[in-house]
Amino acid sequence: MIYTHKTVWTLILGIIMVAFGYLVQAGVLNPMIEFLNISKYVGKPESPGEMIILPFVCGIIAIVVGLWQFAVKPKQGNLDYYLSTIGGVMFILIIAFVVKWGLDPLMGVWGKALKPTLGFDIHSVMNLNYVVMGILAGIIAVNVFSIPGWAENGVRLSRLGLKTGVVLLGVLYSWQELANLAGLSVVMIAIFVLGSVGMVLWMGARRNIPNSMGGVLSAGMGVCGVSASVAAAPVVNAKSTEIAYTIGTILLWGVLMMFIFPIVGKQMGMNPTQFGAWAGTGILNSAQVAGAALAFEPGGIDTLKVAEIFNITRILFLPIIVLWLAVWYVERESGAQKVSHGSVIFSKFPLFVLGFIVMFVLGSTGMFAPGSELPGKYFDNSEKHLVKKNPDGTVKESKMLADKDAELLKSEAGKLTDETQKGALASLLENKKATSFEHDRQLASIMNSHVLSVKANKVLKSMHSAVYKPAPRISKFRDIIAWFFTFGLVGLGMQITMTSIKQAGGQPLIIGSVVGTVKAVGSLIVVWLFVKEIV
Amino acid sequence: MAKPKHILLASHNTEGARAAEKLAYSFCGPGTTLHHLIVVPDLWKGMQGDDWLNNASTRDTFGRYVESQLEEEVRTHLKRMLSEIKKRRIRYRYEMVQGKPTECLIRRAARGPTDLIVLGSPRPKGQTGLRSRMLDEKLFRSLRVPVVIAPYPHD
Repeated sequence: MIYTHKTVWTLILGIIMVAFGYLVQAGVLNPMIEFLNISKYVGKPESPGEMIILPFVCGIIAIVVGLWQFAVKPKQGNLDYYLSTIGGVMFILIIAFVVKWGLDPLMGVWGKALKPTLGFDIHSVMNLNYVVMGILAGIIAVNVFSIPGWAENGVRLSRLGLKTGVVLLGVLYSWQELANLAGLSVVMIAIFVLGSVGMVLWMGARRNIPNSMGGVLSAGMGVCGVSASVAAAPVVNAKSTEIAYTIGTILLWGVLMMFIFPIVGKQMGMNPTQFGAWAGTGILNSAQVAGAALAFEPGGIDTLKVAEIFNITRILFLPIIVLWLAVWYVERESGAQKVSHGSVIFSKFPLFVLGFIVMFVLGSTGMFAPGSELPGKYFDNSEKHLVKKNPDGTVKESKMLADKDAELLKSEAGKLTDETQKGALASLLENKKATSFEHDRQLASIMNSHVLSVKANKVLKSMHSAVYKPAPRISKFRDIIAWFFTFGLVGLGMQITMTSIKQAGGQPLIIGSVVGTVKAVGSLIVVWLFVKEIV
Repeated sequence: MAKPKHILLASHNTEGARAAEKLAYSFCGPGTTLHHLIVVPDLWKGMQGDDWLNNASTRDTFGRYVESQLEEEVRTHLKRMLSEIKKRRIRYRYEMVQGKPTECLIRRAARGPTDLIVLGSPRPKGQTGLRSRMLDEKLFRSLRVPVVIAPYPHD
């Protein structure tokens, strides 16, 4: 089979990208860039930013492949398939460019402009950032315009983008973080995954749905959405309508939750650990977990890190749940085919999780960032790092403790009872910064104890963040990871069709809604009550 | 009314479609050909939409499983239709396509020859089944031949 579609669009997309990169580099778009406040993406002449590098690199690849498609007759084989994906990849990327460098900052400008009228910043409250808008753009593209044939193979490749993002994410964890999160995630996921699977099966039996329907729905509602249903459907002999009902229900829930979770999380003032833990447990679809985490914290990656650990734990439960359902189904259905336990575990084990572990181990060796205080960040409280000066010597920006913040902390210092914490706060007030790594840890412990007011805790958090300097390689990793997720999520949006979502209905929707709500609210309560740590 | 020579029946084994089949048989006379269109809705294309965790083998297994399920459903449908057609001695042709049901019907009707189209009614609220329908405004605007809609069998 020949996969390459002869289309002029790959070439056109390449030319558009290169032209855009050139216009940015030449400064022609400076007024627009300043208006949108996105000059950080442009970089400097000696080190160009992503707004120049990405369009040039991607554009040149698209031009070469676009020309190749016309010049050479494709031959059947892997090369033909891989090259046939380039058009679709560029199609996704150009949408991602528009969303990240255009719509997201534009919404930011509009959000600020409308704040006096509306009373709130719509950009921030509604999470209208590049991740949410990217997924929406994908959903609109497939449902309103449909994906052109030449782009279909590339759109399918977005799965690889998400998996690569998760694998690379492994670099950003420290042993301590992983140990803290793994314990918490195993407990929470075990309770909520096993609980939701059991609840669907129990409700299904009471509402007289077939075992095959109960099996495929419980996997989707319990483990990781569509992926789990896809893994479980053949094992429980699900009928086609049952699959359609289940996937429709899960997609509907996933998309709704992706928008609702970040709004609720922000309104409740959750920290990245709390939100990551909640999203990783309560949202059904794994991609929507990543989407919600990035929507909650678009400028950083801390929430995504926590959410992904929960997600990975959930993924590791997938083979176990499928095996459970296989055994459960065989016990209830005469004539059901027995499956080999070993082959279920082996075939359903997600291999990319091994990639994540390998990257984590490599990261832990110090290959990407020496220093171990925080992954990819160094403790640095030097004046050079904390205070930026203008060429004339005047202070341009300072991360030292401001006088009004010092007054606030002084007024609340009496609330502390622990002598070490008192000493750390006194030292902060005297030196206007954390003086050592140990000192900083004490400030973090004050935050975690929630003894001081929210405002005072915010000041401490900014003091904590101020003394860490990102490692250059890790910063690059973060940027690359964000792009892999953006690419993956836009492409994934392009695979979520309304015709699939419209199939949601009947008993599966009722059962799914009850279990989904119990899971989302239950995990919220647990997280809110028991998860306080900022990892 | 003279018996039509070419009847196009769109059915996919639901209650409503079975009522349409019976109605189509009643229109058939000597020399009539019943053209049967079976549409596998394109909604199946989006059924792996959010699956990015599984290995390729799991996705392939699922894809093959769904295909075999749909094939089995069509086979059962055809088996039942063929036995009825044989009994009634009707000249019969069937065609299976994948896509949006409305668009597939419009395309098939335009290709002809078609004198009459017989369709089933949408199922009443509360009845289970896929939400993939042929009856919409676009269909009626596009068709150039008479359409008969069989009432839903409320019994």
